[in-house]
Amino acid sequence: MRRVDTLLRFATTSLILVGLVILYSTSSARGSDPHFFLKRQLTWLLLFGVPSFYFVSVLDYRIWRRLCWPMLLVSALLLALVLIPGIGIRVKGSARWLGFGPFRIQPSEFAKIAIIAGMAAYMSRYGRQGGQFLKGLVYPIAGLGIFAVLLVLEPDYGATLIIGVIGVAIMFAGGTRIAYLVVLMVSGLGAFGTLILQNPNRLGRVKAFLFPELYPDQAYHLTQSLYAFYLGGVTGGGLGNSMQKRFYLPEAHTDFIFAIIAEELGLLASSAVLLLFVLYFVCGMLISFRAPDSFGRLLGFGITLMVGLQAVVNIAVVTGLAPTKGLALPFISYGGSNLISSLILTGILISISKASVPNGDLSSLAKAKDRLRYC
Amino acid sequence: MNDRGMLFRFCLMGFLMLSVSTVLGVRLAMLHLGPHEARLEQIERMHRFKQDLLGRRGTIVDGSGTTSLLALDMAADHVVADPQVVLEADALIPTASRLAELLDLEVDAVAVKLHQPGRRYTRISMFVPRELSRAISEENLTGVFMRPAHLRYYPHGALACHVLGFVNHEGVGSAGVEQHYDRYLRGRPGVIQGRLDALRREIYTERVVADPGDPGHKIELTIDQHIQLVVERELDALLSSSRSKAAWAIVQDIRTGEILAMASRPAYDLNDFRHSTADQRLNRAIGVNFEPGSSLKPAAFAAALNEGIVTPETVFHAENGSWLYKGRPLRDVSAQGYLTVTEGLQRSSNILTAKMSLMLGNDRLYQYFRDFGLGQPLGIDLPGEEAGIFHPPERWYGISPTRIPIGQGIATTALQLLTVQSTIANDGYRMRPYVVRRILTADGEVVMENQPSVVARVIRSDTAATMRELLHQSTLDFGTGRRAVFAGMKVAGKTGTAQKPGPGGYSNTDYIASFAGFFPADDPVIAMVIVADEPRPVTGGGRVAAPVFAAIGEEVSRYLGLYGDRSSSRMQMVQSSQDVSGR
Repeated sequence: MRRVDTLLRFATTSLILVGLVILYSTSSARGSDPHFFLKRQLTWLLLFGVPSFYFVSVLDYRIWRRLCWPMLLVSALLLALVLIPGIGIRVKGSARWLGFGPFRIQPSEFAKIAIIAGMAAYMSRYGRQGGQFLKGLVYPIAGLGIFAVLLVLEPDYGATLIIGVIGVAIMFAGGTRIAYLVVLMVSGLGAFGTLILQNPNRLGRVKAFLFPELYPDQAYHLTQSLYAFYLGGVTGGGLGNSMQKRFYLPEAHTDFIFAIIAEELGLLASSAVLLLFVLYFVCGMLISFRAPDSFGRLLGFGITLMVGLQAVVNIAVVTGLAPTKGLALPFISYGGSNLISSLILTGILISISKASVPNGDLSSLAKAKDRLRYC
Repeated sequence: MNDRGMLFRFCLMGFLMLSVSTVLGVRLAMLHLGPHEARLEQIERMHRFKQDLLGRRGTIVDGSGTTSLLALDMAADHVVADPQVVLEADALIPTASRLAELLDLEVDAVAVKLHQPGRRYTRISMFVPRELSRAISEENLTGVFMRPAHLRYYPHGALACHVLGFVNHEGVGSAGVEQHYDRYLRGRPGVIQGRLDALRREIYTERVVADPGDPGHKIELTIDQHIQLVVERELDALLSSSRSKAAWAIVQDIRTGEILAMASRPAYDLNDFRHSTADQRLNRAIGVNFEPGSSLKPAAFAAALNEGIVTPETVFHAENGSWLYKGRPLRDVSAQGYLTVTEGLQRSSNILTAKMSLMLGNDRLYQYFRDFGLGQPLGIDLPGEEAGIFHPPERWYGISPTRIPIGQGIATTALQLLTVQSTIANDGYRMRPYVVRRILTADGEVVMENQPSVVARVIRSDTAATMRELLHQSTLDFGTGRRAVFAGMKVAGKTGTAQKPGPGGYSNTDYIASFAGFFPADDPVIAMVIVADEPRPVTGGGRVAAPVFAAIGEEVSRYLGLYGDRSSSRMQMVQSSQDVSGR
């Protein structure tokens, strides 16, 4: 297990370091203090991120089985609190943040942890009855629905989508009948489509994604992002030399930071970052499958998928394969809440890994492969 | 749900995610390796910018040795606005009223300019001095911007306006020296190339080309602002006392041909040339042909003397004031009997001049007049010089040989009239007139220098000396030019009173009064011509123009130190300083 462990730590550390370097380069073009974003991100990382990672990684992951329920309650309360005008901080029309002195946190990031833990706890207990309509489908979906509604009210569609998909994926992995899930997916897509069609802003984004030439204004983000990749070439324009970060590409330090990596360091770096996320994903999947119990398995699976899915969707958006939505690139995008929650999730993965069968190496997977051969 | 099922579902999800990652990897490679050079060039063009810097125009300074600034570029701004932004901010009324107040404009006019929905650019006011435009910038009016410009400024307003000229709004010299020497004055515009961020702000670390351009050359005139001022002041006095329609004058250094002053009335303020009329802008000193009348006679006298046909003592009979030639009477103002040549010039006898010229013959008269520069542009370095009107003998009428020598049937410019005098004063050498002494770079290096140059040798030195004495005589006692004399100075010169030709013959009421001469008569330095157009009711050149000659002459003589011992004079100092500078 040590090797997988080490690889996971390596992937995480590398991603964080790449993130800091690029964040420094990106944010230097903005504002009066070129170090502003770097300082804040480092503060989050060193003050909260790394300590909570180590704390969580030495904790027995089984504690989350009991802790998840109060966490879900607190998360729901915080998400509701955000919606109250005067308490929640509204930026660009979305109320997503709560303020604590100089810091702002995004409760949805911590709700993600609670929901993964909660779904894993629920499905590990009732997974064997996954075939039942109520216990396998209705209850967990109702639980997810509460959070989805709260997030849609903010509104934060990116987080809604991610939490919805992760929740359903845990249900899928946990044993809910596939036919239910198909029905669920179809109706979910229908609901999502309705949401999009209702709002001209969202509709515009989708149209701009589909026909960028016809909607140059709405497609501005995307076009500028693609320019960054074009300019990057194989080796990039050199660290610090991005032109697109100079306000051509909005959100260059947050959602579109991957484009800056591509422009400054080229295909070599952008594909390396993608590979690091694949490495993270593979390690996460190995760790979770070798977890000693089904709670650990589902918890690890949810965590791995959460990080992997965010990365995949973010990169798809930045490269123009998915319509624009506000999703951060884990470990790399500027933003303390996302960084901390990603580190906590990684810490839980490590603690699952520690609890798995010692000296097991890859044997359990080999066993699993054997079993697979028979089916 | 068993382990197998779970493994299957795990692997399915893993497979899905890895497939998506592969797709992303392919997409990355496509994006990074995809674009053509042309596409990259297009993207990079979006980042680049090029800005032309205004070339600073050279200054013009006077030739007095104090090199006072007569024309210079001052930093200014065009105040412009984006009407759409103003309207969207719903700030039409406050913006218009504030701008109108600061710029001293009509509120309505500004409001009309700003109320152009859909327009993105309108000029509110051009060439606003930097102090004022800065004050406007500090108001932070939405949608109001400044565009840098150079304002051509003439510190003395109308002084020497016809010599200096002005620069139009495109920065092109459009009159006077500004026009003639435009290619020297015009600076070389600079350029900045670099890159912009998306807010269209320059990224200073990315600056590629920074060429500040070159300022234009400095021009040093021969015009002396002190003499110019005196001339203009006296012309204004003349205009009001004689009620003339117009008046003009030139002062020249006869030894070099340098024009020390050139003025024309009516005039205009160079700083407000837009509101001037064509009549005001006309440089009459070189741009108006007129029949000079008697002030041209010295040319005929010089010709006859130079050819040895007459001497100052030769006697003619002046026919008691009326002489019939080819059936047409020629009259003198005062009836005279026998007159010497000296007396004939002194009393400005038309009949004596005509008889003398007939002895000279048409061809020789024509040749001398041409040598004096009549009927051709003299090549002064200013735009708009007229050639005069002087036909060759083949085209003359029967009585022309008796009329042309007395300044009828021939038109000259004031500069040509002056040149006859300065040629006589300069021992018979005709010099090319010019108003620009030299052109220097901003660093003081001489680019071009106008050297005094002899265009023609018209008469011999002894003839010139005789003529100087004759012309001096005509300012004495009973001479027509006696009012041109000023205290303590021997003056030489000739008056002219010409009826203006019009439809149906010469007018009995409209005259051109002139006086052309030089001083000191025995060792001339300065030649000067004064012309008044339609003075009323007094019309004679002796009464109208000669006193102005005296008034200017006196001040100029004192300023240049022409009285008494001239070895310590200012003129000498100016001259010697020029010698040092490599003449």
